[in-house]
Amino acid sequence: MPFYYPRLTTVDLDETRRYASLGRNVDFSTLMLGEACTQAQLLSIPKGVWQLYAYDQDAHTILANEPVVLTADSIIKHLTGAVEVAVMAVTIGLPLEEEVSALFLKNQYNVGLLLDAAGTTAVEMTCAAVCSVIGQQAAQAGLSVGRRLSPGYGDWPLELQPEILELATGANIGLSVTDTKMLVPRKSVTAIIGLYPYHHTLNLSHQQELPCDKCNQTGCQARKETNE
Amino acid sequence: MIYLFDGAMGTMLHQAGLKPGQCPELWNIEEPAKITAIHRQYVAAGTNIIETNTFGANRIKLSHYGLEAKVAALNIAAVTAARDAAGTHAKVAGSIGPTGKLIAPLGELTFDAAYEVFYEQTSALDKAGIDYIIIETIIDIQEMRAALLAAKAATCKPIICQLSFDANGRTVTGTDPRTAAITLEALGANVIGANCSLGPAQLLPIIETLAQNCSIPLSVQPNAGMPQLVNGETIFPMTATEMAVWIPRLAAAGATYIGGCCGTTPAHIKAIRQVIDTLPQIKIQRNSAFTALTSRTRAVSIGAQFAPVIIGERINPTGRKALAADIKAGNFITVKKEALAQIKAGAGILDVNMGVPGIDQASAMKQAIEDLSSLVDVPLAIDTTDPITLEAGLKAYPGRALINSVTAEAERLESFLPLAKKYGAAILCLPIADSGVPLTAIERVAVAKKLVALAQEYGLNRHDLLLDALVMTVATDAKAAEETLLTLKLYREQLGSPAVMGLSNVSFGLPRRDLMNAAFCAMAVDAGLDAPILNPFDPLMQDVWSAAVALSGRNPQAVIEYSKKYVDMPAMTTTMITADDILFQIRQSVINGETTGVAPLVRQALTENHTPLAITDQALTAAMNEVGQAFGQGHCFLPQVLLSAETMRTAFNTIKEVLPTHQTQSLGTVLLATVKGDIHDLGKNIVAALMENNGFTVIDLGKDVAPETIVAAAQKHQPQLIGLCALMTTTLPQIDNTIAALHANGFTGKTIVGGAVVTDSYSRQAGADAYADNGVTAVNIAKQLLTTGK
Repeated sequence: MPFYYPRLTTVDLDETRRYASLGRNVDFSTLMLGEACTQAQLLSIPKGVWQLYAYDQDAHTILANEPVVLTADSIIKHLTGAVEVAVMAVTIGLPLEEEVSALFLKNQYNVGLLLDAAGTTAVEMTCAAVCSVIGQQAAQAGLSVGRRLSPGYGDWPLELQPEILELATGANIGLSVTDTKMLVPRKSVTAIIGLYPYHHTLNLSHQQELPCDKCNQTGCQARKETNE
Repeated sequence: MIYLFDGAMGTMLHQAGLKPGQCPELWNIEEPAKITAIHRQYVAAGTNIIETNTFGANRIKLSHYGLEAKVAALNIAAVTAARDAAGTHAKVAGSIGPTGKLIAPLGELTFDAAYEVFYEQTSALDKAGIDYIIIETIIDIQEMRAALLAAKAATCKPIICQLSFDANGRTVTGTDPRTAAITLEALGANVIGANCSLGPAQLLPIIETLAQNCSIPLSVQPNAGMPQLVNGETIFPMTATEMAVWIPRLAAAGATYIGGCCGTTPAHIKAIRQVIDTLPQIKIQRNSAFTALTSRTRAVSIGAQFAPVIIGERINPTGRKALAADIKAGNFITVKKEALAQIKAGAGILDVNMGVPGIDQASAMKQAIEDLSSLVDVPLAIDTTDPITLEAGLKAYPGRALINSVTAEAERLESFLPLAKKYGAAILCLPIADSGVPLTAIERVAVAKKLVALAQEYGLNRHDLLLDALVMTVATDAKAAEETLLTLKLYREQLGSPAVMGLSNVSFGLPRRDLMNAAFCAMAVDAGLDAPILNPFDPLMQDVWSAAVALSGRNPQAVIEYSKKYVDMPAMTTTMITADDILFQIRQSVINGETTGVAPLVRQALTENHTPLAITDQALTAAMNEVGQAFGQGHCFLPQVLLSAETMRTAFNTIKEVLPTHQTQSLGTVLLATVKGDIHDLGKNIVAALMENNGFTVIDLGKDVAPETIVAAAQKHQPQLIGLCALMTTTLPQIDNTIAALHANGFTGKTIVGGAVVTDSYSRQAGADAYADNGVTAVNIAKQLLTTGK
């Protein structure tokens, strides 16, 4: 199983600003945001693991040893045209979320909130780095990768989290899932990426909306537009 | 002369009948005639160098087919098959591909394990009689370092090192062509280049960059365009003629070893041969006369023609008890903090010293180098006097490090110089001989020259060497600084190698060392210092450094950077506090989130006999109301609200500190919990913080709290309000369960719910009294519920 523990030589300040619910033009201390990003860099232990599986798009089935049949419209639509899927799991570990809790206990609410936002940025950057490796390897076989989609987005229920985590072999990087389908550590992601033949990639942008497009919280400060 | 490699082997094997899932290298034994026939087609097409069918013939890749015990046999058979085809018409290059695993800390494979795998394969190829080793399609510089070091140990044949770059011009793990060129030339590659992943158009700029940054020959083996999967088959769209069109440009860029990778066939090679045969002889000007250090992702040039660069000296436990204790305990957080902070303060290179007595310094150095290489992208200097520690650091470092340092003393030279050569490191030379420290500049230059000559005997060149001018204190010898500055000038005139030195010795034994150090730094930059080793946190040094670099004229951007840095420096302001507006000032302080500024204001207000109630009502609560209103109108945002809450908390604490007997009146008791099964508590924590600062007594039960625990706590604390939170759809029903359990057990207070997936309508069907979509609203609703009962 492929592992990648990406380097985190920076944690993006603008993304952290977004995850901290600070609008684009809000005048807020760059110094504080920068310190949260640095702290996130220090506390993150970025790890990723993934597995490739053939995908039967007619039967909506991931062809693992124990095949997984997808039933939710959002993931089926997302994977239309895919011939393989990469099932990935990513985490930045426990220390950052422990520090966020400790900061709230010390009444340092703002720093806690900003560090939590920077942690989200860190886990997203880790995902991007892992996706980049998956994409690079797929390209060698003439395949293009689409966007990742995680359980819980759209109508794809969170209940499938344990199966997805197992397909990704997430336990190998210390990930587990609670009875209520939540990932531990919290700053973790599981996702599926479709691998598409070249001729299909022209349709991908129409087929694969951002998760934000599927969310009805239109006033959310962290909302991303499709064309971003 | 341009040497022509062959084209793809995989494409040809599949055409010859290799089935998907079959091990290509097994054909070396089972179908050697077919392998030789493929090679013969390439020889007939005009190739000079054919590559053995051994791309995946390493222990790790072969283990996928259960063939890990056949490494030697498969490699030897491959060379025989190639030799049969090559005859006297072509040379044979032993092909070595990646293991498919990433090396720690980016993956699970250790550097030593990778080295062993590559050594085993190279030894077999060498034994079978190849003419070259070609390490190709490598996506990670550390894997290339392991393969190249192993190949150098296993063979004396020339070694060609080819990385794969992606469309953004870097390898998958971030190395750019300039960094790769500097790192791999120093490490002893005979030819470097790029293959696979991209077509000739995309590889052209990469070859141009490689050419500008090394002096060794370059190779390029593009794919036949970018791959496409059509009707279940991967195809490469470029025809032989289309591909051959790019050859003159690749040759003009500096490539002298040219071939094809995926999708190329004997037809492509034949077309390229025809173009090569008509190319005029061209002499490419190559610029590699400079000293540079690299990290995995960045190169930093050092020398008279480049901007001076600071080497941060803070990762050194000497005289720093806390840092030493952390390193001893295996805790590298402080080391990492120092690294990030020094870079922020202007360091372009970091010195790393793990000299803690009584520890395994080699292990500590390996750990520090791995941790820092994953965290920062500036090059590192490995600072040690112990050769074992040095080698541990050099092996783990995915770039060209600086060794700090070597003297002209025989013992140090014999152990350090071979390591510098082996691992492609640059080395800082101190002109100290067995006889001691030379006092004059003339003597120092003489020892330095001897050192340079000795280093050259070990195979190092001038670009591998940096010279220290030796800094002694002026407290005991008034001429000491003058001799150092003269040494710098003579180094530049007579030796040309970059000059590096620590500065702070100059002020030893004197007061205001920062002043003396900063002045000396400016003078040394003028005399020819290229990279001072200093404490980048020293504010005076930061200012003088900015000015000195701007004045030196060696960095065209320095004057602009200087202007930017100092024109925006805010003027010092003094806040005048008057008795009349102190409550207003406190209120503004809370609104602005001045967590450190509010305490003196509160103390002053108390001194002026403002009652705690007046301070709370007219300043603190008024401020939070205003902040809450601004939040509701979208004029301020959650971090700002929390900063105000923190400021308010500080103000309350100050009141308590000054008047310990003061009791604040509670607005009511609120019990908060994240429901059973839900482990997310950030939102609940925010609500708790805001409730508390708005005068409620908060009982926070934490996260993943079962209904019966909440019921028991409700019976014990008798809260007026219970707040419940759930983040995920899977835990939403626990809100219903908890509210039902509360009602069943006679709870008569109010309930309020919230969380990412909770909605107003859901809250109503769950039987809650209210729903809040954020912390500020929760506070407002709580106040309303407890005052009006609705």
